[in-house]
Amino acid sequence: MTFNPTRRQVLIGGASLATVVALGGTHPAFASADRTKIVVRVEKDLSNLDPANRSGPIDLNVIWSVQQGLISFKPGSIEWELDAAEELEQVSDREIRFKLRSGLTFTGGYGELTAEDVKFSFERFIKPDAEGKPVTYAKDWAALERVEVTGPLEGRIILKNPAPALYTIALADGSGRIVSKKAFEALGKDIATKLIGSGPYVLKEWTPREQFVLEINPDYKGPIKPHFQQIVGKPIGEQKTAEIAFRSGEIDFTAIDPESGKELAGLSDASVTEIPAIDYVWFGPNIEKAPFDDIRVRRAIRYAVDVDAILRGAYSGLYQRANSLLAPSLLGYWKDAPVYSRDLEKAQALLAEAGHPNGFKTKLTIESTARYEAIAQIIQANLAEIGIEVEIEALESAAYWALGENDASKDLELSLIKFNGKFDPGFQTQWFTSAQVGQWNWQRWKNAEFDALHEKGGVTVDPAEREKIYIDAQKLLDESAAFIWITHNLNAFASRKWLKPGVLPNGNNWLYTAFTEATA
Amino acid sequence: MRGAPLRIHLAFKLATALLAVAGSVVILMALTRLIPGDPATVILGSRATPEAVAALNARIGLDRPVGEHVLVFFAHLLSGDLGEDVFNGRPVAGLVAAALPNTVALAFSAMLSAILFGVPLALLSARNPGGKTDRVVAFLSVGFISTPSFVVAVFLLMTFSVTLRWFPVLGAGEAGAVGDQLWHLVLPTAALAVGWIGYIARLLRSSLLEVLGENHIRTLRAYGVSEAKILMKYALKPAILPTIAILAMGFGELLGGAVFVEVIFNRPGLGSLIYDAIRTRNYPVVQGGVFITVLLYVLTNLSADLTQTLLDPRERSRLAAARGT
Repeated sequence: MTFNPTRRQVLIGGASLATVVALGGTHPAFASADRTKIVVRVEKDLSNLDPANRSGPIDLNVIWSVQQGLISFKPGSIEWELDAAEELEQVSDREIRFKLRSGLTFTGGYGELTAEDVKFSFERFIKPDAEGKPVTYAKDWAALERVEVTGPLEGRIILKNPAPALYTIALADGSGRIVSKKAFEALGKDIATKLIGSGPYVLKEWTPREQFVLEINPDYKGPIKPHFQQIVGKPIGEQKTAEIAFRSGEIDFTAIDPESGKELAGLSDASVTEIPAIDYVWFGPNIEKAPFDDIRVRRAIRYAVDVDAILRGAYSGLYQRANSLLAPSLLGYWKDAPVYSRDLEKAQALLAEAGHPNGFKTKLTIESTARYEAIAQIIQANLAEIGIEVEIEALESAAYWALGENDASKDLELSLIKFNGKFDPGFQTQWFTSAQVGQWNWQRWKNAEFDALHEKGGVTVDPAEREKIYIDAQKLLDESAAFIWITHNLNAFASRKWLKPGVLPNGNNWLYTAFTEATA
Repeated sequence: MRGAPLRIHLAFKLATALLAVAGSVVILMALTRLIPGDPATVILGSRATPEAVAALNARIGLDRPVGEHVLVFFAHLLSGDLGEDVFNGRPVAGLVAAALPNTVALAFSAMLSAILFGVPLALLSARNPGGKTDRVVAFLSVGFISTPSFVVAVFLLMTFSVTLRWFPVLGAGEAGAVGDQLWHLVLPTAALAVGWIGYIARLLRSSLLEVLGENHIRTLRAYGVSEAKILMKYALKPAILPTIAILAMGFGELLGGAVFVEVIFNRPGLGSLIYDAIRTRNYPVVQGGVFITVLLYVLTNLSADLTQTLLDPRERSRLAAARGT
C-alpha cells in the first residue's frame, strides 16, 4: 500500500502541525533560567577593544572583565582595590611604585604578565602610534613622564606633576588596563577586535551586531571572583525592543527608562534598580552674543525658567534636581548651592532694566530626543511669559555634537546640554575652562579665576583642600548665571529577581565580574 | 541584424543600471560629507579635543578630499573591497555579506506571504464585486495598507512574544540552525507582509475586474465555462502581470527599506546596518551598504522587466516579430 496524499491532505497536515507547534511549543529563548549564564542587553555593538582607542562604556565594560589593571574599581563604588598589583604605593606626589602578583598569565599563549607589559601599556598613551598619531585616550595619561621597570614584576610610575585624578581617570579606568606587549606586536591592527588579557573572563565570541560571549578564564589567578560561567551581551539599540525582550524573558538585564520602572517592577520575576547618576544636564546662553552678554538678561532667564516643572513634565518627577555642576556622590559636591525658584516679577524687572521690557526672539538648540524636546517646550512656554520668543532647533545626534568642532558653537544662542560625568571632579570642571571655548564650552564663558581653580584642583592631593577648590569653582559658575542646572540624571535597570547587577555609580559602567546571584 | 534591437535594448538597460549605481554612490559620498558630524566625534565621545578628532580623522582617511575618496572607492571595488569599518577596521564586504542573507530571507518570505494571502483575497473579492466578501476584503485591505509595519511589529511582539511566548523577539536565529532561523523569521515576516497583502489584494482585484469585463470572458461565460475556471485560468494570468512588476519593485525596496522591522526585531540585516552606520557616521559602511542595496534594487528591476517580457504573450510576439524582420 502506498501513501499518496492529495494536495488538500498535505495542506491540512501542514496546518495541523503548525498549530500543534504553535500551541505546545515554546521557543528555546524562553526556556527557564540557566543560572550559570546571563544575557545582558548592551545599547550598541562592541566597536574597538583596544583600551587606548576604545569607543565608550560598552567596549570598556568588556575590556575590564578581560584585562587587568594594577587596580580596579570596587563593585558599586568609586573606590578602587588592588588587581594585578600586589602592592601599590604613592611614594611621593610624582611617583607611584607597584609590585605585580606572580603567575598572572595572558590568554592566547602570550606568557606571563610582567612589569614590561605595564610599561608598554601605559607609555603607549604618551607616544605616537605606528602611524605617528596619538592614541585616542592620550589625555588620560597626560601627567605620565615614564614607567621604569625595576624588576620582572616591579616598577615605578614617574609623573610630570602631581595627578590625584590619575587613580580614577586612568589607573582604575580603561586607560589603566594592561595589554600584552607580545600580543600587541603580533596582532597589529587586529588588537581592535581581538581581546587578549589576564583577567577573570575571556572574550570567547564576538559576532558583530548579534552578540558577544564572555566566559570564565580557567587560567585566571587574580583576586576577583566572577560568578557567572558565561555572560552573553546582545546589542539592542532600541529601548522599547530591549524592554519587550526583557518582558519576554530573552534577556536578564537591561538599562531602562526610569519611567518604565514601575511597570517592569510589577512583573513577577523582575526587579528594578535605580542609581542616581553623576551626569549633568543644563541649559544656558552663549554669553558672547547679545543680549546674553548682559548678566541681567541671564539672571532674568534663570528666574523665568521653572526647573521643577521641567522635572515633573519631562522626567515624570522621578529625577532629582541639580543645583550645581557636581553630583552629590562626588568630591566637591556643593550642598549649599542656591536653589532658584521661579519669580516672574524679578525676571521681568531684570529684563526691563537690561533694556528689553518686551522681551526678544532667540533660538534654543537641542539634541533631538523626546525628552529634550519636552524640556525645550517647557522652557519655551516659561520664557514666553516674560516676552522671550524661543524657536526650538532640534538636531540629530551627530549633527548636534558636531557643534563642538570648528568653533561651531559661536553661532549658538541658547543650548540644552547633557554631559556624562566621571568620578573625578576635575573631569567635569575642565569643560567650562576658557581653553574649551570653541570646543565644548558652548556658553563661551571665560573666567581666569575658574581656570586657575581647575588647574589647582588637578594637582592638589589633599582631598579636603580639593573639595574646597571645586566648591569655589562652582560658585563662580553660579555667579555667571550662564548655567541653569536641571538634573544629574537617574539610571534605572531591570533585571531578573535572582540577579544582582554589578553597576558602578555612574550607571554607564558595569563590572561583569560583579554580576552575581541575588541573595533572598 | 536579427535580434539587434533586443541586444541594444538590453545593453542600454544595463548601461543605465550601472550608471544609476555609480551615480548614487557618488551622490551619497558627497552628501555624507555635507551633513554635519563625523565618526571621530562619535568614537571619541562628545567632548573630544580637536587634536584627537584630527588625529582620528587622519587615521581613518577622512582628511582626504571627497573626489579622492570616490576614486579610491571605485578602484577598491574592482577587487571586491568595499572599505573598512572606521571603528575597528573590519572589512565592510564581510559586514554586508553577513547582513545580506538575513535581509534577503526577510524580503523573500514577506513577499511570498503577501502573494499567498493577497492573491486569494483578490480572487475572493473579484468573484462577486460589491458583495459582502468584497466589502470585508476591501475593509481589511485598506486597514492592512494603512497600518505601518512598525505598529504591526509591536503588536505581534506583545502578543506572540511577551504574552504567549511562542516566538522570539531578538535577532535572526542561530547560525546554521535553519529551524531556529525560520522561527525568528515568522514575526518580522508577518509585520512586513501585512501591508503588502492589502496592497496586492486591492491591486489584483482591480486588474481582475478589468480583465473580467473583456469580450473573451463574456464569450467564455456564454459557453458555460464555470466562474471559478474563468477566474483561475483565464483572468488571473493576464491580470497578475502588473502585480508582478510591483512585487519585484517591492522586493527591491525591502532589501534596503525594511529598517523599521529590522530595528524593532533587532534583526542584523542590511537596513539596520545602514541605519546604524548613518547614526555613527561610519561612512565606509554606509557607502558599501548603499552600494549593494542600489545594485540589488537595479538588478531586481531588470529581472522584473525580463520576467514580464517572458510572461506576457504580447511582449513575446513583439520580440518574435522583431527577430523576423
